[in-house]
Amino acid sequence: MRGFLLNRLSQSLALLVIVSIIGFIILSLIPGGPLSQYARDPSMTQQDMERLAEQLGLNRPLWIQYFDWVWRLVQGDWGRSFRDGTSVLTVIGRHIFATLLLMGTSTVIAIAIGTWIGIRGATHRYSMFDYLATIGAMVALSIPTFWFGLVGIYVFSLQLGWVPAGNMYTIGDGSVLNYLHHLILPSVVLSLVHVAVWSRYMRTATLDAISQDFVKTARAKGLSERRILLKHVVGNALLPMITLAGVQLPSILTGALVTETVFTWPGMGRLFLDSLGYSDYPVVMGLLIFSAILVILGNLIADIVVAIVDPRIRLA
Amino acid sequence: MTALAISTAPSRWWHSRAVIRFISHRLALLGLAMITLLTLACVLGPYLLPYDSLHIDLRARFAPPMTGNHYLGTDPLGRDLAARLLMAGRISLLVGFSAMLLSIVIGTLVGVVAGYRGGWIGAVLMRTVDGFLSFPSIFLVLALAAALRPSPIMITVIIAVTKWMEVARIVEAEVRSLREREFVQAGRMLGLSGTHIMFREILPNAMGPIIVAASLTVARAILLEAYISFLGFGIQPPLPSWGNMLNGAQKYLASAPWLAIIPGAAITIAVTSFNFIGDGLRDALDVRDDHI
Amino acid sequence: MTKHSKSASSYSRRDTLRMMALGGAAGIFAPHLLTKPAFGQKAARTPKGRIVVGLSQEPTVFNPLMAHIEVDDGVHFSVFDALFRIDPKGVIQPNLAVEVPTQKNGGISEDGLKWRIRLRDDVRWHDGKPFTAEDVKFTLELITKPNFRSWRTTGHSLVRDIAVVSPVEITWRMEQAFAPYLSFLTETFVVPKHILEKEADPNNAAFNQAPIGTGAFKWGTRVPGDRVELVANSNYFGDGPYIERLIFKYIPDLTVLYTQFKSGDIDLVGQTYISPDHYEEARKLPSRVVTLEPKSSFESFYLNLERPQFKELQVRQALYAAIDKKAIIDGLYYGVPTPTETFMPRQSFYYNPGLPVQEFSVKRAQQILDAAGWVPGKDRIRVKDGVRLSFTNSTTSGDPLREQVQQYLQQAFAEIGVEMTISNLPAAVMWGEFWQRSRFDSVIVGSTYLIGADPDVTNRLHSNAIGNKGGRGSNNAQYVNPEVDSLLEKGSRTFDPEARRAIYFRVQELVRHDLPLLPLYQNIAVQGHKKGIQGAVSNGNTRTESWNAGAWSWAS
Repeated sequence: MRGFLLNRLSQSLALLVIVSIIGFIILSLIPGGPLSQYARDPSMTQQDMERLAEQLGLNRPLWIQYFDWVWRLVQGDWGRSFRDGTSVLTVIGRHIFATLLLMGTSTVIAIAIGTWIGIRGATHRYSMFDYLATIGAMVALSIPTFWFGLVGIYVFSLQLGWVPAGNMYTIGDGSVLNYLHHLILPSVVLSLVHVAVWSRYMRTATLDAISQDFVKTARAKGLSERRILLKHVVGNALLPMITLAGVQLPSILTGALVTETVFTWPGMGRLFLDSLGYSDYPVVMGLLIFSAILVILGNLIADIVVAIVDPRIRLA
Repeated sequence: MTALAISTAPSRWWHSRAVIRFISHRLALLGLAMITLLTLACVLGPYLLPYDSLHIDLRARFAPPMTGNHYLGTDPLGRDLAARLLMAGRISLLVGFSAMLLSIVIGTLVGVVAGYRGGWIGAVLMRTVDGFLSFPSIFLVLALAAALRPSPIMITVIIAVTKWMEVARIVEAEVRSLREREFVQAGRMLGLSGTHIMFREILPNAMGPIIVAASLTVARAILLEAYISFLGFGIQPPLPSWGNMLNGAQKYLASAPWLAIIPGAAITIAVTSFNFIGDGLRDALDVRDDHI
Repeated sequence: MTKHSKSASSYSRRDTLRMMALGGAAGIFAPHLLTKPAFGQKAARTPKGRIVVGLSQEPTVFNPLMAHIEVDDGVHFSVFDALFRIDPKGVIQPNLAVEVPTQKNGGISEDGLKWRIRLRDDVRWHDGKPFTAEDVKFTLELITKPNFRSWRTTGHSLVRDIAVVSPVEITWRMEQAFAPYLSFLTETFVVPKHILEKEADPNNAAFNQAPIGTGAFKWGTRVPGDRVELVANSNYFGDGPYIERLIFKYIPDLTVLYTQFKSGDIDLVGQTYISPDHYEEARKLPSRVVTLEPKSSFESFYLNLERPQFKELQVRQALYAAIDKKAIIDGLYYGVPTPTETFMPRQSFYYNPGLPVQEFSVKRAQQILDAAGWVPGKDRIRVKDGVRLSFTNSTTSGDPLREQVQQYLQQAFAEIGVEMTISNLPAAVMWGEFWQRSRFDSVIVGSTYLIGADPDVTNRLHSNAIGNKGGRGSNNAQYVNPEVDSLLEKGSRTFDPEARRAIYFRVQELVRHDLPLLPLYQNIAVQGHKKGIQGAVSNGNTRTESWNAGAWSWAS
């Protein structure tokens, strides 16, 4: 187990290095820079701009900037935002709650609905329900999330007035109910794709489980269908789902980014777009690394869990 | 491997099992029909409409659908939405298709080399693939689009650069499993060059999964183009694309909802069609791959 | 005239304006004018209620001396005080100082080099420590410290020999006479020495995230990505505050910003205000006050004069004649902005109303080009001496209205045989080297030329301000006119408003004739607040609507 872990960890570390180098190079390719935002101020002279560039270390060679950044990162210093001088970790920390809230809620919705559709589809194979669910899932995978969001806003917020069109809460009203009210539309929109993915996987997993011997045994023992379903089938089907959750992380993050834009949700996605707009390199790099770590961790945990449950993996 | 069905296709290809299974897949046929229609409309449509997609007429701005000859209404500059939608379709479909081709080429190259060579070359290549996959691709795409001037060609390249990894993974796995097959070993014994074996002997046998991946990649490429253009980093006006038509639409959601609804519907139809086709191909070619 | 001045007819308004500008600069007005409720109504002294200001950008820089952008100003004006403050009529008023120094009252020496400022003795920092001349000295010195990431240093870098005469008096010497400096000081907020002097690195001081000032509001809390909350400073020496809490709420989407104003979630719309397409609707909202307020910025079609296409005056004249300003303003901007012929804002004392008015005529545009020898080629694009009349135009992506203007002009120019291709860029790219080093052919840009309300535009129009040629400013059109140069140099050394007025009138005439930029219209902000709010007066001489939040109150 230890060897397996070490191996995976070192691989992950190598990945992070690659990710950071790619990110750094791409960012350095972006013309302009963080000082552009001052360029239209009539009182900022070229000397002022050059002075700021010098102070921010922007005119050093790229590789020096990179190693400086890595060296600080290793020491736990993620750098400071060019915009306001706050440390990057603080900036990310401030936005992470909104994103996690959105991702969490939509994942719960996706799992709940997706599991139900998947199991029902598997147990009623080739029924009308199964057929519609299959087509529905494929259509859901094809709808652009942001467009679904726009249509949702148009129908439920502008026409029907049931839910707010954006934001996480009303100012001055921090109640849980208010948060929930704002959360409904964006989380449903974000969960659409994942309901589709989840239900497809759940269907396959359930079908696999049903054909297993122990289910036949359980049936032979005379256990009720419902019990068999819940205890044996779902229990076994959930294992691959853990891996799926890990693999799905990047796409949930991507979806969150777009959803946050449409619903002016104050999360990491918006932060990323804003920071990219300002060329706030430290924050952009921080978010890239942070999301890469999140994704790698997701995969790692999934692997470990599977390895613990299924000892054969370790040998592979 | 049933992928052999292709390389050993009988003289009358329409009798092949794969084709028959594809045809019996109703959704795939529906998808194929919709895509054909859409493509035809985008290619021919603009010649049949009374308006040019770029013609501005401020007096006719914000006309709702079915106003006079503006079947789908007009945009904030009074340009005909139907004409723009079809012109945009050309761009979006073209970008989607070219991005697919490019990413299939890159992915296949990397996958074949990594799978066949293995060893440290394979390890480095596949770790790079993992590296690219660890970015939520939208971050990567946006950063790239900000770095490079967004022309349709650039956008195509950018999308391909972020979409080839999945193809590489699929191909690598496939090639690795084929590497030790008898016909490959026979090839080696005959002294064929590595390149020959890789691309002449192994690759044709891995075509099934690649074809399936291709149809799904078109779908994803169209979606991705829509995302970046929606966020303003993609295809630049006045050239219309389905994504950038949606870019300003949120602003007019209350007063001119058709601006948002129509292009989005077009994207959904196109992407759904490609997904249907991909699904049909997967069944027809009997590809089972969890990566797709 | 346009509808932007609802309060009074524009004629009489301009006259008062002139008097005020003269009076203010000459310092006739009594000190403490700003400290009494000169504008806004009197309200109860105990602060009551809260006002939520909606902003479409997020304020993030709270140390007012550090590099920041417009949207941060609202917080700075509320938390801090400067030596002077500029009022809506362009009159400089004392703030931390007791009077505005002039050559007449001896505050500024005849040669303009020696300055003497007398300060108030009743000002305390939010932590209770008294404010003294030491704080002013510390502030001015911090700005020019080499390792401090300060905002503008123009003017400040000329200051020498700062001497604290007494806690309420400070003097310094200027390296050269520089009239705009007084204006700069209205935006130079004084920071507390006793807190910042202890910091090893002022760039990363805790103060920057929880500032302590002397202003009407104290720092409250900040929820990043969402809002900044300020609380009343009941010991404020000046007018107000009359509200308990002032909240700056960040709403990145203009439509949502407007919707929240409509629904009442926000009380006052701040930058970047209500978008023009909502103006008609907003005007009719019950119990809301919605007004059109002229801004100091103006929109222009800005040319790179070093490009061979634009070297000839005739080409620039033809392009200008081909622009249908009325169609753009009425058709795309819902009639909100006012056409202009100059960079000088209409509300300025230095605005030249006598400039020739542009006339839209496709025919004249074609005639000019024909006469100048630009002949249409096979593709109908005009050519002369191997130069095709074809260029790119850029603006920041993500501004739908401006992109519409751009596409409209593209079609208009095509009609006179000029090809314009569009290449828009994200803001950070656009305003980088592309702009600063004149890498563009043409851009559509909204820009402010004045600093504060001072008419000095050396940084924008002087030939030694061309960044691409190693100059110090942002004359990115690469405009060169020796007469403009010498006028600008003279203007910055002249303190007398009437004399300066003549100088800047001539500058405007020359720029209008040379057309380094095609002026389109002056930006007008659609501002709005709830009817119950009193004292919310717009001030086109500052960059923020929240310049006097201390005087805001709720009608009881």
